[in-house]
Amino acid sequence: MIPELGHFALALALGLALVQSVLPLAGASRGNLLWMRSARASSLGQLLFVAVAFAALMRSFVVSDFTVRNVVENSHSLKPMLFKIAGTWGSHEGSLVLWVLILVAFGAAVSLFGANIPERLKARTLAVQAWISTGFLSFLLLTSNPFERVFPPPPDGNDLNPLLQDVGLAMHPPLLYVGYVGFSIVFSFAVAALLEGRVDAAWARWVRPWTLAAWMSLTAGIALGSWWAYYELGWGGWWFWDPVENVSFMPWLLGTALLHSAIVTEKRDAFKSWTILLAILTFSLSLLGTFIVRSGMLTSVHAFAVDPERGLYILMLLALSIGGSLALYAWRAPMMEAGGLFRPISRESGLLVNNLILAAATGTVLFGTLYPLFYEALTGGDKLSVGPPFFNSSFVPMMLPLVFVMGLGPFLSWKRADLGGVLQRLRFVAALSGLAALAVWYVAERGPVLAYLAIFLAVWLLLATLREWGLRIRLAEVPLGESLRRARKLPRAAHGMTLAHAGLAVAIFGFAGSSAWKSEEIVFVTPGSDVSIAGFDVTFEGAKRLNGPNYIADRGTLTVRRDGAFVKTLYPERRSYPVAQSTTTESAIRSTLAGDLYASLAEPASDEASASGAWTLRILYEPLVNFIWLGAVMLFAGGGLSLSDRRLRVGAPKRPSATPAAVAAE
Amino acid sequence: MIWMFFGLMGLLSAILMAFLPLRAARADTAPAADGVGVFVDQLDEVERDLERGLISEDEARSATAEIKRRLLAASRRDTGHRAPSGGRSAIFVAALLVPLAAAGYYTLMGAPGVASAAFAERGAERAQAEQIADLSERLRERLESAPDGGPSEGWMLLGQTYLRMGRFDGAARAFATVAERDGEATSATFSLLAEALIAAESGIVTPRAERALERALTLDPSNPAASFYRAIALEQAGKLAEAHETLVARLEAAEGPAPWMQSFIAQANRIGEALDREPLTMADFAPMLVTQPRGPSAADVAAAQEMSEEDRSAFIRSMVDRLAARLEQQPEDLDGWLRLGNAYRVLGETDAARDAYLRAKPLLNNVPEADPRRGAVQDALAALDDRE
Repeated sequence: MIPELGHFALALALGLALVQSVLPLAGASRGNLLWMRSARASSLGQLLFVAVAFAALMRSFVVSDFTVRNVVENSHSLKPMLFKIAGTWGSHEGSLVLWVLILVAFGAAVSLFGANIPERLKARTLAVQAWISTGFLSFLLLTSNPFERVFPPPPDGNDLNPLLQDVGLAMHPPLLYVGYVGFSIVFSFAVAALLEGRVDAAWARWVRPWTLAAWMSLTAGIALGSWWAYYELGWGGWWFWDPVENVSFMPWLLGTALLHSAIVTEKRDAFKSWTILLAILTFSLSLLGTFIVRSGMLTSVHAFAVDPERGLYILMLLALSIGGSLALYAWRAPMMEAGGLFRPISRESGLLVNNLILAAATGTVLFGTLYPLFYEALTGGDKLSVGPPFFNSSFVPMMLPLVFVMGLGPFLSWKRADLGGVLQRLRFVAALSGLAALAVWYVAERGPVLAYLAIFLAVWLLLATLREWGLRIRLAEVPLGESLRRARKLPRAAHGMTLAHAGLAVAIFGFAGSSAWKSEEIVFVTPGSDVSIAGFDVTFEGAKRLNGPNYIADRGTLTVRRDGAFVKTLYPERRSYPVAQSTTTESAIRSTLAGDLYASLAEPASDEASASGAWTLRILYEPLVNFIWLGAVMLFAGGGLSLSDRRLRVGAPKRPSATPAAVAAE
Repeated sequence: MIWMFFGLMGLLSAILMAFLPLRAARADTAPAADGVGVFVDQLDEVERDLERGLISEDEARSATAEIKRRLLAASRRDTGHRAPSGGRSAIFVAALLVPLAAAGYYTLMGAPGVASAAFAERGAERAQAEQIADLSERLRERLESAPDGGPSEGWMLLGQTYLRMGRFDGAARAFATVAERDGEATSATFSLLAEALIAAESGIVTPRAERALERALTLDPSNPAASFYRAIALEQAGKLAEAHETLVARLEAAEGPAPWMQSFIAQANRIGEALDREPLTMADFAPMLVTQPRGPSAADVAAAQEMSEEDRSAFIRSMVDRLAARLEQQPEDLDGWLRLGNAYRVLGETDAARDAYLRAKPLLNNVPEADPRRGAVQDALAALDDRE
């Protein structure tokens, strides 16, 4: 009975979404307060009923109710409880229910906490939000019913995929979805502003925190996904420019631009049109991501829903939402009043440059991701892949000037700034960065020019960010106690920016270090073989067969020494799961901040060779790779600090005559 | 019960939709008039920043001026939207429409009759499955250890049990054992063997399955199961027209409406679509006269498994009657009498069963000494007498 209650609840939610798509909008244009306020009831109702449906589905997974097809296909009575729960959103249907749940939760949050949003804007925003939920609820009910029943139930479920039984992966989709869907509310605000024909102060006030919340979870989701690929797939890479990765990265890039653009709109009443366009495009890319993954257009590690009918439905939704909103933008955006003026050299300009570069970079990634798909469609089946070389030679160089401007930006004041003065203040930072790059060049001896440039820029960004923070609290200018007092009084958003920018610098160390100075050895080993890598001597002691709870493992024993001194014993494993008929690679990693020594056992060298204990061993040394995750944590924490800052902000422009020593308020 | 819950949920949505907006409109909390409140908050913020020393006096002055400029601009715009809050009827209509639409959708797409079954609550079912597995395991052991290789009936039973359990390899082995015995293997043995082999390969007709089908059709050209799988084999070989022809030919040879015909028609139409053939219906074949009554085939039994309990017993009844009628015309069919006797035993009609076995008994004189059917008749009669 419970699955049926869930099914009915989804139908009710769709009914409410339909009403909410129309009534508040009509109310807003006629000035009918009652109709506008009906959005509050319907958005809360949608949340209630979608939550009931989600709970019903989750309950079916928890108790392994195999009368529900979705549970049969994606669970098994022997799965650990955590993965039974995670199975709720592991499938195509379940993940869409989660998608919609997050969507309606954002809608309900707007109606609950948006007390100071003007009535009309709120009604229109919620109506647009309801269009999206109507689209997705009908998609669910018409093409991907999660509550489809099977009777009589099969004896047990079909899925025990060990690769997907990983805590990181269990948490990955929800975070990614909060990110994707979080941008929906920003999109709804943007479309509502276009319908309204203007952007007011409250609009800007409301867009920034929502963007920030979505951006944070997208950051966490992407970082977690990359971390999972690094530890679980056993390939030793953290980013493969795989289309599924790209489609989550594009909304992040554009979302970053949106975040900064929204700050300008909030503080300076400028960039309105930009912010609206970015909001539309960011969510469009989220939809595109959902479409590309869900339509099964790609065949990669992540692609698991292959169904052209569903693809067509999402394509229609996509065309309608993106095409419709962009057409609306083209029609209404020119009517927006221009806001605060600024000079070519100002914080606004810096952020404009940032927006342009991020948008261009997103375009590059989009091109690289979609080109193979179009190529295949146009040539009628010829496959072509655009791989890391394309992205490394197009995307990466684009990021370099961005990082350079990032170092400068916070020193510029709003409206008009003194570039000479800023450069003067940063000359030591530039010199130190150059020295650091030279030092790395001296130590590392080899490596591409791009890597040294990246190191230079990472140091530049880190030092410039810290210097800016130091100037704010007047470090070394006033007694330390006074500086600390100033630091305490500094708005949390300012700390947030410092932390996030420094986090990116830290992550760049990781990107550059682990890609430019990575060493890799793939060797056939027999017990007693030695491999030397990056100053380590690794001895293969042999492999043993072990029995796990539901798998059989070949566990290798590796002794790691450096300069003759024992460092660590590593146990890479290769597990085979008889029920699921699959194998996984459990890499063994010696992790330090300086770098990871990463060992994985590939297949036995050959059948005869395995009898004699010969294996293919893959050993990697990835310098600085942990800086990536550290940087990601800093980005996330920075976003959190900024989000917790509930102040209303206005950027105070300085008079042209202001002394260069003063720093603009955040 | 479940409809009561649906009713409650629908009612909840209607109440929420109808009364919350009305209450909200009555309460009439002053809406922030186009964000004027935001400007006031911003002015306070500048004040606070100045006090904390975050911005200079100069910056505070220009920020304040800026905010005031924006405030003025905002207040110049027309902000009046405090229209009367009429339109209650629209709210009520919406509140009613939501549960009605949901109920409409649900009656089309829902499955209110299907009970949920948590894995933990299905212990009895698992115990039964285990028992069957256990029994079939014991049967297999007994058959394998029998000095004469075990009776064919036993192997057939084992094969059919395995087939139902989804252990297709085991089923194929059991049927193959019987298939290798000349004189004992019937057309059904070979078509069941083919079915098990095909199922084991997830629907692919292997050359071995094809050979089994050929044997089945040689022994009984009218075996519907064999014809069905032959059509699948032809389809997989790309011979769509021949596959279609095979199905249609078998349908045309059918003696009156039979349950297996539906699946034949569906299959023929599926193949016919690619060939641009007119879709067939039951009516194309149903009026055919009964030319030669026969016993139930494997496909009949398979079709019977998909019926409801009531339909099934009616169906079995009609098959048994058909068989009895045919045997009256062809009384020398030993296998027929054995089947009929067995059927009556299953239906619990002891007298009729005994009659059937007694009719079979004289026919045993024509079969060799070692024929297992001699023992079967003897055992059956003894068992029936025991029950008296």
